[in-house]
Amino acid sequence: MNVILAIAKTTLGEAIRRRVLLVILLVGVLFVAIAPALEALSPRQELTVLRSLTLGVIQLTSAVIAVVLTVYLIPNEIERRTIYTILSKPVRRWQFMIGKYLGAVGALGLMMALMTGIMLLVFVVMGKSKDVSDLAMLAKVPIAFFIQMSLLAAVSVFFSTFASPIVNFFLSGGVYLVGTMFDSFFNVLTKETQPLIVKIPATIVHVIIPNFQSFNVQNSVINPTQVIQNETMLYVGLSVYAVTYISILMILGIIVFEYREV
Amino acid sequence: MRQRFSKLWALAAGLAIVQAVVHAAWVFPLWQKNFAPKQGSYEGLTSDQMLFAFAGFRELIAGILWVRADTFFDEGNFDAILPIIYLVTRLDPHQIDVYDTGMWHIAYNFTDEGSRSDRRYVPSAVALGIEGANNNPSTYELFYGTGWLYFHKIEDDYAEAVKWFEQAMTKNDVVTARRNILNNAYQRNGQVDKAVEYMFKVLEDSEAAVKADKEYAARQNRDTIENNLDNLLVRMAQRGEFARASGHYDGWDYDTKPPFDVGFSARVTVVEPKVIQVEGTWNVLPVGTRVRIVLRDSDYPDALPAELTWNQGTAIKLDPPKGLTFMQDQLFVKNQRFSREIDMSRDPNMYPFTKQKYLVEFYYNPRQAPAYIQDKFGWNGEGMTDKNFLNTQIRPGARVVYTTMELTREQLLRTGEWKEKVPIQQTKNFAGFGSKQLDDNVIKVPGILSEPGH
Repeated sequence: MNVILAIAKTTLGEAIRRRVLLVILLVGVLFVAIAPALEALSPRQELTVLRSLTLGVIQLTSAVIAVVLTVYLIPNEIERRTIYTILSKPVRRWQFMIGKYLGAVGALGLMMALMTGIMLLVFVVMGKSKDVSDLAMLAKVPIAFFIQMSLLAAVSVFFSTFASPIVNFFLSGGVYLVGTMFDSFFNVLTKETQPLIVKIPATIVHVIIPNFQSFNVQNSVINPTQVIQNETMLYVGLSVYAVTYISILMILGIIVFEYREV
Repeated sequence: MRQRFSKLWALAAGLAIVQAVVHAAWVFPLWQKNFAPKQGSYEGLTSDQMLFAFAGFRELIAGILWVRADTFFDEGNFDAILPIIYLVTRLDPHQIDVYDTGMWHIAYNFTDEGSRSDRRYVPSAVALGIEGANNNPSTYELFYGTGWLYFHKIEDDYAEAVKWFEQAMTKNDVVTARRNILNNAYQRNGQVDKAVEYMFKVLEDSEAAVKADKEYAARQNRDTIENNLDNLLVRMAQRGEFARASGHYDGWDYDTKPPFDVGFSARVTVVEPKVIQVEGTWNVLPVGTRVRIVLRDSDYPDALPAELTWNQGTAIKLDPPKGLTFMQDQLFVKNQRFSREIDMSRDPNMYPFTKQKYLVEFYYNPRQAPAYIQDKFGWNGEGMTDKNFLNTQIRPGARVVYTTMELTREQLLRTGEWKEKVPIQQTKNFAGFGSKQLDDNVIKVPGILSEPGH
């Protein structure tokens, strides 16, 4: 466990020093900070647009950070040959991979916490929140996003065990896009009128692909009039689902990484 | 090594089943029930808008599109606004303003050169209102808006107006000043007892509001409600409502007795292709009577006497049914007669005249009449009659005036044998205006110029 934590700590330190990530983070923070200026886009819906925009920026920026951060995790170590030094020590490959993943997730968490903090600050400074419970409701959404991005990072780490960073970037991005969009098409593709040849593959894809859409819980915050039931159960379910899926990806990644000649 | 991997493969397979079950049986149903946006269609978005919408900026894109729609309003480009309304409500089904403005726009803004609304759009406006209310059940606004469509635009089917207003009044955010509308809707629906009961309830609430807040607005509201209730009770007494309820109506004189014969007659002349001149008599001297005229395909789908089936489900059609003709207008009565030219030649999309047979309908319902006319006619027409055209069937519970005439396509387009001959259709009792032929600019005022007996 100490080995994993040591690798995670090093990865976290490296990640928060990477300029490209800091630039992406800066762009995200800037957008969150200037979001109130775009309220005018929808009279009488200012708060709706502000919430939608800030949460959307956090989600999009986090997705980019998650992918950019993780696509280089293992390939960089191989390219710089530092992996030989690490693996020559009493460190197992699975420990190395899990440590790397946890470090990346830690860095992602820090960056998302920063953006969330800025968002809450904007709401307080601009007087857009009524009370602390209002802010708490808003802050809950990035937690779901964090679980979502941890899953995306796992997808990317898995691909990084066998794909080059550029290929991985598009692969992970593609999986994220399909995992976000598929629900919209799933209901259409599995309608009773559809032939089995369409329904069966659609159902298989729906089961296999990580379902990122289910982590998009912002709708209830953007439109607070919506009556929500079993919110806690959803968050618990999301966590169980994400941990299970991440475990699968880690196991598959470990198997591939073990076979890889390094 | 191989054995260790086989265990890992088995573990991964087991976890894959667990994740599928967790997602299908736990997460997805919960998410779909509580968190999924109510609309899922991205159809009609440009690729960049779609990408942004997928990326979680649905409401932002909806806002930008709505701002774009505003410029189309300014330019008078009404057709361009329809797809935007559709798109915005799909992207963000909680944009109450878009639903509200959209309903009004669809129902009111599509008009012909003579400012007549294209009624073929109204079912779409109603569908938009129903969808908006379903998607935003916690606010009164779209329930009110849908009720208002029935109350003001459709000016019929008042039971529907009552239904929607009643739902609006149950919402916590209903504006005090708008609560009186349900009283009016009850009256127009012939439910006067319900109107009184409701007004007492509203008065009670306003008294409580005054106790809690002695500001001018609260007191003014209470006084207005009290005044409206007073008027209603006086009118009920004068129109014999209390006597009717207690079974003494026949024995006493009330303003609604004896029923007044409105003496309706009408003539339709096709003066030019697609232009008709409508004239007729109406023996009521005070101004304020508007007789509805409808000219439509005789087999217009979902047509009812002098109206359409306005609630045609929740499918929002951006284009009205092409190839169908439905014209509706009001004939304003002045000096006991009406005369109006209706030009349908300049709007071929609105009046395509593709069918062979057309129905001209004349309709008057005292429920739509102003209060001072209702004082004589009563809420349901009990003080009104017509020797020839009284109808108690087409609007259950109300005594209305209704008659129809037929015209053919050849007559309306003045083709074939009607090229030279002027087509005229009239009721049997139409005898011209006689002594009522007065200067159109002068309105005879009762008590000064009125004829004896009126």
